[in-house]
Amino acid sequence: MALLLLVPLGHNGYIEIVFRNILMYAAMAYGWNLIGGYTGYVSFGQVAFFGIGAYCSAVLSAHNIDNLFADVALACVVTALFAVVVGLPVLRLKGHYFAIATLGIGLALSDIVANLDVLGASSGLAVHHVDEPHFYVYYYAMWLVALGSMLGTYFIARSKLGFAFVAIRENEEAAAVLGISATRYKVIAWAISGMMAGSAGAVFAPANGFLDPSIAFSADSNIFPIVMGILGGVGTVAGPFIGALILAGANELLQKYFIKIHTLFFGAMIVLVVLLLSRGLVWLFGLKGGARTWLKSLTAYKA
Amino acid sequence: MHLVLQDLANGILAGGILAVVALGFSLVWGIMNIINLAHGAFVMLGAYLTYQLFASFHVDPFLSLPISFVVLFTAGYLLQRYLINWVVRAPILTTFLLTFGLSLLFVNIALIVWTGDQRGVTTAYAGANFTLAGVTIPWVKLYTLLAALVITGVMHLWLTRSKTGRAIRATSMDIGAAQLSGVRVAHIYSIVYGLGAGLAGVAGTLISMSYAINPNMGEPFLIKAFVVCVLGGLGSVQGALVGGLVYGIVEAFATQIDLYIGTQHISGSGLQDAIALAVLLIVLIVRPTGIMGKATA
Amino acid sequence: MTAQTASASGVALRIQNVGMRFGGLWALSDVTFDVERGSVLGLIGPNGSGKTTLMNVISGVYRPTTGAVRFASRRIADVPTHEVCQLGIARTFQIVKPFASLTVRENVAVGAMYGRYGAKRSTRASFERAQELLEIVGLARVADRAASDLTIPDRKRLEVAKALALDPDVLLLDEVMAGLNATEVDEALELLRDVNRRGVTLIVVEHLMKAIVSISTTIVVLAEGKKIAQGAPADVLASPQVIEAYLGSRWVKRQEQLKIIEAERADAARVQPPDAHA
Repeated sequence: MALLLLVPLGHNGYIEIVFRNILMYAAMAYGWNLIGGYTGYVSFGQVAFFGIGAYCSAVLSAHNIDNLFADVALACVVTALFAVVVGLPVLRLKGHYFAIATLGIGLALSDIVANLDVLGASSGLAVHHVDEPHFYVYYYAMWLVALGSMLGTYFIARSKLGFAFVAIRENEEAAAVLGISATRYKVIAWAISGMMAGSAGAVFAPANGFLDPSIAFSADSNIFPIVMGILGGVGTVAGPFIGALILAGANELLQKYFIKIHTLFFGAMIVLVVLLLSRGLVWLFGLKGGARTWLKSLTAYKA
Repeated sequence: MHLVLQDLANGILAGGILAVVALGFSLVWGIMNIINLAHGAFVMLGAYLTYQLFASFHVDPFLSLPISFVVLFTAGYLLQRYLINWVVRAPILTTFLLTFGLSLLFVNIALIVWTGDQRGVTTAYAGANFTLAGVTIPWVKLYTLLAALVITGVMHLWLTRSKTGRAIRATSMDIGAAQLSGVRVAHIYSIVYGLGAGLAGVAGTLISMSYAINPNMGEPFLIKAFVVCVLGGLGSVQGALVGGLVYGIVEAFATQIDLYIGTQHISGSGLQDAIALAVLLIVLIVRPTGIMGKATA
Repeated sequence: MTAQTASASGVALRIQNVGMRFGGLWALSDVTFDVERGSVLGLIGPNGSGKTTLMNVISGVYRPTTGAVRFASRRIADVPTHEVCQLGIARTFQIVKPFASLTVRENVAVGAMYGRYGAKRSTRASFERAQELLEIVGLARVADRAASDLTIPDRKRLEVAKALALDPDVLLLDEVMAGLNATEVDEALELLRDVNRRGVTLIVVEHLMKAIVSISTTIVVLAEGKKIAQGAPADVLASPQVIEAYLGSRWVKRQEQLKIIEAERADAARVQPPDAHA
């Protein structure tokens, strides 16, 4: 992670954007990991938080407030509020129902923003940003967001909060008997996970300079972090970062060399990750028994 | 008054197609406990298949119905047998992502083969319509509704009367007992997934007759199929039919919303996904077992 | 000792005219008794007499159809599940529910973190408390194993340790000795006596008559959802009503078993069609 601080020193704009995207996806993957991995609520709506964060920056910029700290702070407040208001009904749902409802949230928000003139509707709006030579500002801001998400996950995993999340994942009724209010802690997990994705969005908007619903609520930003979380290892501290590094890196390469069909490759990559590495690299590295255990794990869920 | 009747008619006409889309989705979900995110892509492939047959060989779209079914059934059967079956019992996240990946693959293949341009199946009878009590009804849409009703009827009979149909229902109720009675679960699962794809293909053919075709056309149908299943209850033919018609009507009225708040224009037609989510949340919270009251998994 | 004369400070829990209906069936009807602070109350009765239902009502899982359970003048039914333990009531489950992916120590620590005094405990203090409890229940040797690896007797111990981690005044134990061998039962009894000596009131549901007689100060007998006897163990077991309830039920059970065996034989003789289960 610290090594990534050196990237802007190369003064290569393209490389800087590639790594900034890796950091952005890492922060979102950490966010997803908290609700989907630790708390066991498989959310397909993290892009909603990302989009909200991005539009927070856009709105501030429209009022001539161009300050990344203000952007991130506003994004955190708004995403947390959104998580509480939407979470109270949605987090009552379980399994498939929760997954689809969250998927619907992202799509619905995209619809709504596309119809709101104040937010530029479907044609989008420009977001002020600093001049080209100072782009490293966004890079370091994204680095901080990713680092914050990672450290946040690290400390939460070891705290009382983290144990409440895992207890809810393992058995909500048993957790309640031990004094854990499932509703409260699910909403907290979702709000924190939303703040991570929202902060990434808040930095992304000015760095990108332009925002419309298809950028802010894109399917890529929705699914990438989940696949990264899985590739790295669900419910682990290192997993999302490892997953983001590999997948976002691979995606950039595919985009560079196979501009037209890179999404096709990405689809194939998802299929392969799910079939071959659904327990994640962190699990694979710590595996006892080598290839045989891995091969055996492949047929574990066969009918 | 006749505006209300017109909306109602539009809703029922659209609802019949939704019922066919949802039926395949519902079978796969109810019997295999898989949310098939590739379902929308199958709808899209059915539509393109119909388009290609029409454009290249002048095959009437109604004649394409059985072709779409057979082609997509086969594709679905093979996909399940040799790919999805490996993780069919895994936690939902796994099958969710796998079918999402497949969907991404199909959509992008379609983009390469047919490009992103809008296509249409314009038959000689496409523009014809008739008026009944002030309500305008296109003949094509009426025929597709009738076809949808026939298809759901046939599916219902097949599931309740045929040997395979009964084996499928037995599997959905108790896998262990079904296996003991000699049901080959992997084969049954493949048939069910094939049916899901086949029905999606048929729905795609029906859709191609009245709507524009593009590689991303399946996505809104996927979300709607889910909502229809929740509305009607899972894994039943009647549920898909009732849910489809109810949702078609709700959507027909909701998309008519057209109002101004200050200078902000709010139009229901641009908010289809938001409407779907709202219906979904209301049903899940008020009546989690669906309007038909069937048990959900 | 009667409910009427007991002073308020001596009563831990009041069960007042509790009735519980499931559909058309009254699983409990008009059950009334008090639980003395510091006592061990044994709850016995034939299968289906309503013991587990009563445990669920006391611990707030079910809301009684009639009557109420009062703890320190609060109606348990009005308290959400996750706050029942804050009052000082904890329970174990007949079907044990460990958090499978957590270690044994972590399982107990979660209780210490969110139980009655959890708000005042740091993470570290919770783990220390968990370690103490694991030593008390005899699980210190497997503290770092995954809870899913435990044997059945150890899972029962873990269940008790998790409940104790909530620092309860009243502990409800639902068949914690089922499936244990004679030595393990003795160990479990010793553990429960030890817990009781620390001032925790126990309500024990158990099938093993010997165990329950040896540990209880008072026994309440349920039959068909009604309380048919209450008193000191020796007196209760000598009561003709109790003997009849037990013998009667055993006789009925035997008859039922015979019927099942006959039906199975008849079934086996028949060839089943493939969709017989549909």
